[in-house]
Amino acid sequence: MFVARHIAADHKDLIHDVSFDFHGRRMATCSSDQSVKVWDKSESGDWHCTASWKTHSGSVWRVTWAHPEFGQVLASCSFDRTAAVWEEIVGESNDKLRGQSHWVKRTTLVDSRTSVTDVKFAPKHMGLMLATCSADGIVRIYEAPDVMNLSQWSLQHEISCKLSCSCISWNPSSSRAHSPMIAVGSDDSSPNAMAKVQIFEYNENTRKYAKAETLMTVTDPVHDIAFAPNLGRSFHILAVATKDVRIFTLKPVRKELTSSGGPTKFEIHIVAQFDNHNSQVWRVSWNITGTVLASSGDDGCVRLWKANYMDNWKCTGILKGNGSPVNGNSQQGNSNPSLGSNIPNLQNSLNGSSSGRKHS
Amino acid sequence: MSGTKPDILWAPHQVDRFVVCDSELSLYHVESTVNSELKAGSLRLSEDSAATLLSINSDTPYMKCVAWYLNYDPECLLAVGQANGRVVLTSLGQDHNSKFKDLIGKEFVPKHARQCNTLAWNPLDSNWLAAGLDKHRADFSVLIWDICSKYTPDIIPMEKVRLSAGETETTLLVTKPLYELGQNDACLSLCWLPRDQKLLLAGMHRNLAIFDLRNTSQKMFVNTKAVQGVTVDPYFHDRVASFYEGQVAIWDLRKFEKPVLTLTEQPKPLTKVAWCPTRTGLLATLTRDSNIIRLYDMQHTPTPIGDETEPTIIERSVQPCDNYIASFAWHPTSQNRMIVVTPNRTMSDFTVFERISLAWSPITSLMWACGRHLYECAEEENDNSLEKDIATKMRLRALSRYGLDTEQVWRNHILAGNEDPQLKSLWYTLHFMKQYTEDMDQKSPGNKGSLVYAGIKSIVKSSLGMVESSRHNWSGLDKQSDIQNLNEERILALQLCGWIKKGTDVDVGPFLNSLVQEGEWERAAAVALFNLDIRRAIQILNEGASSEKAGCFKCAGDLNLNVVAMALSGYTDEKNSLWREMCSTLRLQLNNPYLCVMFAFLTSETGSYDGVLYENKVAVRDRVAFACKFLSDSQLNRYIEKLTNEMKEAGNLEGILLTGLTKDGVDLMESYVDRTGDVQTASYCMLQGSPLDVLKDERVQYWIENYRNLLDAWRFWHKRAEFDIHRSKLDPSSKPLAQVFVSCNFCGKSISYSCSTVPHQGRGFSQYGVSGSPTKSKVTSCPGCRKPLPRCALCLINMGTPVSSCPGGSKSDEKVDLSKDKKLAQFNNWFTWCHNCRHGGHAGHMLSWFRDHAECPVSACTCKCMQLDTTGNLVPAETVQP
Repeated sequence: MFVARHIAADHKDLIHDVSFDFHGRRMATCSSDQSVKVWDKSESGDWHCTASWKTHSGSVWRVTWAHPEFGQVLASCSFDRTAAVWEEIVGESNDKLRGQSHWVKRTTLVDSRTSVTDVKFAPKHMGLMLATCSADGIVRIYEAPDVMNLSQWSLQHEISCKLSCSCISWNPSSSRAHSPMIAVGSDDSSPNAMAKVQIFEYNENTRKYAKAETLMTVTDPVHDIAFAPNLGRSFHILAVATKDVRIFTLKPVRKELTSSGGPTKFEIHIVAQFDNHNSQVWRVSWNITGTVLASSGDDGCVRLWKANYMDNWKCTGILKGNGSPVNGNSQQGNSNPSLGSNIPNLQNSLNGSSSGRKHS
Repeated sequence: MSGTKPDILWAPHQVDRFVVCDSELSLYHVESTVNSELKAGSLRLSEDSAATLLSINSDTPYMKCVAWYLNYDPECLLAVGQANGRVVLTSLGQDHNSKFKDLIGKEFVPKHARQCNTLAWNPLDSNWLAAGLDKHRADFSVLIWDICSKYTPDIIPMEKVRLSAGETETTLLVTKPLYELGQNDACLSLCWLPRDQKLLLAGMHRNLAIFDLRNTSQKMFVNTKAVQGVTVDPYFHDRVASFYEGQVAIWDLRKFEKPVLTLTEQPKPLTKVAWCPTRTGLLATLTRDSNIIRLYDMQHTPTPIGDETEPTIIERSVQPCDNYIASFAWHPTSQNRMIVVTPNRTMSDFTVFERISLAWSPITSLMWACGRHLYECAEEENDNSLEKDIATKMRLRALSRYGLDTEQVWRNHILAGNEDPQLKSLWYTLHFMKQYTEDMDQKSPGNKGSLVYAGIKSIVKSSLGMVESSRHNWSGLDKQSDIQNLNEERILALQLCGWIKKGTDVDVGPFLNSLVQEGEWERAAAVALFNLDIRRAIQILNEGASSEKAGCFKCAGDLNLNVVAMALSGYTDEKNSLWREMCSTLRLQLNNPYLCVMFAFLTSETGSYDGVLYENKVAVRDRVAFACKFLSDSQLNRYIEKLTNEMKEAGNLEGILLTGLTKDGVDLMESYVDRTGDVQTASYCMLQGSPLDVLKDERVQYWIENYRNLLDAWRFWHKRAEFDIHRSKLDPSSKPLAQVFVSCNFCGKSISYSCSTVPHQGRGFSQYGVSGSPTKSKVTSCPGCRKPLPRCALCLINMGTPVSSCPGGSKSDEKVDLSKDKKLAQFNNWFTWCHNCRHGGHAGHMLSWFRDHAECPVSACTCKCMQLDTTGNLVPAETVQP
């Protein structure tokens, strides 16, 4: 179903994050070599590195794009305890002629006392906002009140999560029915049974973020977390990368007219749980419609998951980390005999538990 | 290595060889099996590699530890530490003519016999071999041997060496070590420090010690329990790992007082710890009785100098095989590759992948980073459409103008790929609804037109007065059935179901013919039967059977339709006939739902048609039409209500026939979107003719917004514009207000405002360009104050004048472009200006200028107008895509 192509990345150390802009025409990568690279896609579909610069004085963990409405803006976060906002400028120099673009640092966010582990721009409708999380367990939400001036960011909220944070994800829903929401994952590995995923929701009345939900069933370290693009659904989908891939749905319980104020209540169901990566799952990413999930894990493979019309999630593709197919697609089932047999069982048990979901 | 538990070693230079040692040494050769079959006698190590046994050496009993000679030549020289403390040099399958033959079999004997725990070759002075022994009273436990001692090939002629080697074994014994260290102690592990060839790190009984061979009287040491498996990070020469029980300690030699870091303790004791030789800061550890190898990716470890950073260590684990692992070895050069061996000597070769980070692009390609490499993976185009994800489907459908055929509405399902029966049903429903709304409006404006879009549920509800049923004769049978007299509402319902065509005629003939044409024999036969025409039904089945024989297996199933026709023709009305009995039981085995309901209908008691009504595989429109024909008003209402709820629950688009584009329809569509994510269909469906209050439903607005956002992300600017135009037809309030006005430089009035007062020019400022009709006056001055409008920066003519054809555009190859330009003539004459430098002119001129230039056309202005807008530079994807 899928074919992989190698791209010479030319980073001097491990690449920690890949991120696409809104249109998928540009890509940013960041690495332990302390640099960020920006890539542009040519007409022929090839990627060309158009900028590469040193961004931090430590490993750069994550890089992310702002919506193009705000210009060509990137944010990065690093082990050096800072996050930074970068803007591409149309320079006076003849960089353009060399096919290179120029990025300038607009601001450095220095509030964290520890490594900043994730950085994410809020959905466009919220304005130009940025959330960071750090190993000291604090999620910080910044806002640029003037979108034309990216050098001024004010720290709007500090949310204490009490656990070392590893990843954050904004709920992308722009529906007025849904308040701004952010999910935070923790990779705290101390042997406690604390829940590692917390969800905070903005309360219009108190103008603060308050904890809306805690996923009590996730007690192992969480390495990545991702809300699916909402796409008009009446519920939210959240993927969690922990010792397995888990997919949750959060259905807002329709607010009674009387109870304004308090946080939204959710019916939370786990709709899928896959341990095919054998061990830790590192990353999860949704496609644009929130219908296909890609995950990567310690088995060195990228796996694709998709739900059928019955809302049963299945593995629809496996790719090795080095791009080679897993023993040819025809043998996909054979090379991984556990795959075929595990899922139906798992699904049955899941269907039993997730009675709230509708089945056609 | 107790003889039972095998150890494994990669050859340091001949990188396709490794040795497995337990009671004997076995040399293997690794081959790739990517392009070849597995050879006989070789062992599979992984999906793409296999090992062949090259030789076995069982000369050295009581092996305790093995170390591979580090120099290139001789390649297969190994030092074996024995239980009695002797160190023997041995070789594997090496040609015995080599000048190093004299080394083989050489033994280095300590003064007192005790177990040899560890061996380490000096990486620089390749002849030095350090051996760590158990304690024996006050004897030394670290002995450094020079393997060339006693023999110097330069001095002693070759022949003589070989002779002496062959004659007596005693001449091969060396008893005088180069250095003796670690008196009155035991040595458990050893490693040479790469900082200096004379520095040796040893894990002694209760401490770690660094011996300096330049001054053997001194040693540096630190008391610790973590004395096993000392090993230096090959990328960071001051970093050392050692372990004790389940705990790994990381040391920094620059501050050798305490470990800079201890890793989380494992419940079981560790057996091996090794740094990856091909990547920085990756430590592999193995515990006893475990099938996983735990990896520590040390992104940042604290350093004794400088700031107190917290460590960033990523803990990972890999499971190379299902059995317990006895030992493992990193490949010396292949990136992150290792080989593991289990106690029963099965081996497995695998590569530890880096943590992969990944991201989806909006156009369904997946990018991931593994280590220092990037991979892009795109969906193959020639995929089976059934497997395509909705994201791909929506993109392709947007390109094929899905949803935009407002005349032949049913055609939209063809634009959608003609693959989804629900979409087909939906668009036919919408088509009929549109058709009959127009019909009604013509007949009696404002009467029932709106009802049509409200769906059959509302239509049926609205029917007033009782409907009488009457007995109708079967054609071709001596039988009568009760059929409801069709009132206006039921006729409309049947029309929406597609059974009967426009007009007052209630004949299903045309419908049957169209079904027959499409080869839907079973369905046609069932419809004929429901209209009490058994003869026609049989005839259709016969037709179907004959055309199947002609090679059309589309609806063949496993049944010859002739047989069905035969069964049908045997119909008898007698209650207790054999025919009836057989049909009731056997019909359940029919695969085709339509054949099934035919017999259900024939065998049913009068008035109870559940076998037909609740056969879920039959299309909703056929069941509803059937219900309209045979059910009484109350039954019908109940049935429709029930079916509607079922459809809503399931998000089945066929149900739109019942709900119409009402709140109920929105509920149904919500389930559909929840299930599929297809906001495209939801948006277009709701924009087909919903009343404004439905269109204003938050959910509908949200779908539309999401779909527009998708089009934006895909850079389908034109498609989005078309969508917006389509939308504004039904919902004029969605039309965005003008965001930009052109005002006169002199009087400050909007030129379009004053213009709109002119009666025959009321459509914004677009007419400021030249219009096609020469009669229209060209406005080159402000309508308010009559001052001239600014000049175009390129043609220097006042705005409002038409654009002359492109300068120099008389080339023949540009002819096509010119014709295209003419089409866009209106746009070419628009005002446009840079928000930064305020220079501007005719849009057409500006576009052609910036095609070749970066700077503003106004001399001395260095503004890079076009580059300021990065999204403006994005080409719409529609033109690029096929």
